Amino acid sequence: MTLHRKSLAGVAAVGLVASLAACGSSAVSAGTTVDFWYYQPTPEQAAKVQQLVKEFEAANPAIDIKLVEVPKDDYNTKLASALAGKKGPDAGYLDQPQMARYAGSGQIAEVPAGTVNEGDFYEGALNTNKVNGKLYGVPLQQTTVVLFYNKELVDTPPQTWDDLVATAERVHQAKPNIAGVAVPKGDGFGAWVFPGFVASAGGTMLDEKNKKVTFAEPPAQEALGLWRRLLQSAPRKITNSELPFQKGLAAMMFSGPWDILGIREQFPQLKFDVAPMPRKAKEASNIGGDNGVVFSTSDQKDAAFKWLQFLCGESHNAAFADITGNFPTNVKAAKKSTLAGDPQFKVVLDQLESAQARPAVKDWIQINDDYLAKAIEEAVDGGAPPATALNTAAERARKLLGW
Amino acid sequence: MGTRSSGVTAPGSRQGARRGKDALTAYMFITPAMLHTLLFMLLPAAAALYFSFTEWDMISPARWVGFANYQEVLFNGDLYPDFWKSVRVTLVYGLLAVPASLLTGFVQAYLIDGIRRGQPFFRLAFYLPVITAEAAVGAIWKWLYDPQFGLINAALGFFGINGPDWLGTPGTVVPALALIAAWQSGSAMLIFLAGLKGIPRSYYEAAEVDGANAGQRLWSITLPLLRPTTFFLTVTGIIAALQVFGIVYVLFSSNIGPEGAGLTYVLHLYLAGFRNGGMGAASAMSFLLFAFILLITAVQFRVLPRQYEE
Repeated sequence: MTLHRKSLAGVAAVGLVASLAACGSSAVSAGTTVDFWYYQPTPEQAAKVQQLVKEFEAANPAIDIKLVEVPKDDYNTKLASALAGKKGPDAGYLDQPQMARYAGSGQIAEVPAGTVNEGDFYEGALNTNKVNGKLYGVPLQQTTVVLFYNKELVDTPPQTWDDLVATAERVHQAKPNIAGVAVPKGDGFGAWVFPGFVASAGGTMLDEKNKKVTFAEPPAQEALGLWRRLLQSAPRKITNSELPFQKGLAAMMFSGPWDILGIREQFPQLKFDVAPMPRKAKEASNIGGDNGVVFSTSDQKDAAFKWLQFLCGESHNAAFADITGNFPTNVKAAKKSTLAGDPQFKVVLDQLESAQARPAVKDWIQINDDYLAKAIEEAVDGGAPPATALNTAAERARKLLGW
Repeated sequence: MGTRSSGVTAPGSRQGARRGKDALTAYMFITPAMLHTLLFMLLPAAAALYFSFTEWDMISPARWVGFANYQEVLFNGDLYPDFWKSVRVTLVYGLLAVPASLLTGFVQAYLIDGIRRGQPFFRLAFYLPVITAEAAVGAIWKWLYDPQFGLINAALGFFGINGPDWLGTPGTVVPALALIAAWQSGSAMLIFLAGLKGIPRSYYEAAEVDGANAGQRLWSITLPLLRPTTFFLTVTGIIAALQVFGIVYVLFSSNIGPEGAGLTYVLHLYLAGFRNGGMGAASAMSFLLFAFILLITAVQFRVLPRQYEE
């Protein structure tokens, strides 16, 4: 394929280009600018990403990286609009569940052979980049969710679901103005965290091989039952306040490593620690992360892939993931990660081993954010029987998927 | 508003000779506005009409599906379980927000009209919420409505009232949104103020001579003579209320609020189009809304009093 040859030539030529800037016909010519979209980090983190860019540009003088920060909530909509208007970036993040949709419609370029060595990555993270067996992106960082607890309110973190309920009740009874735990809601985040609880109870969300929707089965019902019970010692009126855990209004919450960094930076007075997710039948959590892709409309594909190579490679992947409080996807880089030596991040790193990937179907976001989120809300806040709420959602999912 | 027109019209004697040139000049002046309307409103609207008959996710090419989108949006409760809910939320919002903002707009205008000094200051002060960025407005009200530290519940607590979790309880979400609309009634205030200035003083003087008190003057002169203004504000207010989006989007950070209580029609449309990739269906929803607005506006032109009749 011409694409492969051209980019390989480009990769090989880059070293030369730096010295032979006059070589205008080369794939990466002098003054090449790569627009890269990523989630807007905190200002401190943004400065560190900028530092990485400087390092890259020093090694690749012919390429300029232009960082564009987009708020995470708006990222997918902004990206889709920009691409539809032919104003999309050269490269950028792509949320794991979006890969199938973008690859299916030819919006993202296949990763040229030889760009990365697949064996370098954690398998789970790498596989989120594959659509029909082909590689459409590189894994940049991964993350999961653990239990956060306020050390002034909780002495020993609960290890099981029963412990969790008891601890939450104890806190709330002792201090009625404080919620036991910030119970996830029926929104996109709640529906993203939910599969970890289902897996812990021994269940799954979808059986893609046999085309069966499994998230209405008893383990999922038990997970919703747990959240409902937790709500009794965690009134929404308390936890609906902004950042209830950070402000000491909730004794526990389920969240990811980004909040470890966020709390250290913005709420240094809060005495908190993290622990593995309380479990029922087995240890489990959910997984998330971001892939780096190059868009088909880009006329700087070679330079863009070089930048992605840099971000996911052994020498810089750890630094990049550390900045945003995520984890490296490159196995060798993970060993170097400064976060691995941090006891709180070590908990998250261990939790990643039992983290469940989300289903890889094209319409998962709609099922997650519309159907499942609604079922969670109906059962947890509305008090509807979990089986009824989940069965309705499962029925809708079956129709949408055509299963 | 009314004062501006007097300076624009050329004196009658010179009009005939210069008509052709004037017309040309006039067209040149409105060309930018016409181009804007054509390029940024009519063409996109035409495109949306076309896309409403297609299946399109903004990524793959659009596929013609005829009326399927309209049918599915209206009648397929599995694909669009929240469509009718969003219609209900929006109608209730309109029923609360439009009268509330007309009332606050009128009261503000009436009070400002009655004072001798400081009118420009109050006009500006009450108009500020309109020109403040929606994101900032949302952030402020989110804080005001905070169930633990919010200023509103703190104020209620001062009177011994245990305030609700405004944005976290399904029943209070729409009233809370309507309150924001009432606070943002600066445009209505300005137009009412213009209407008030247009009522000749002599009517009030005559009424005073006849012994009418302030209440009678308000009821028998001011309100009837403001009917064209009120009619205009009702019609435009309902159109705006049916399209409410920004403030809800900011308050619920692109979620739909407790039990979907904040899911207004346009938020639902937005999520269907931009989050779920159903741009065809979203276009269909926008034309359903257009048809509904057209209908309800026509009805208002029929049934609402538009002029003062003796």
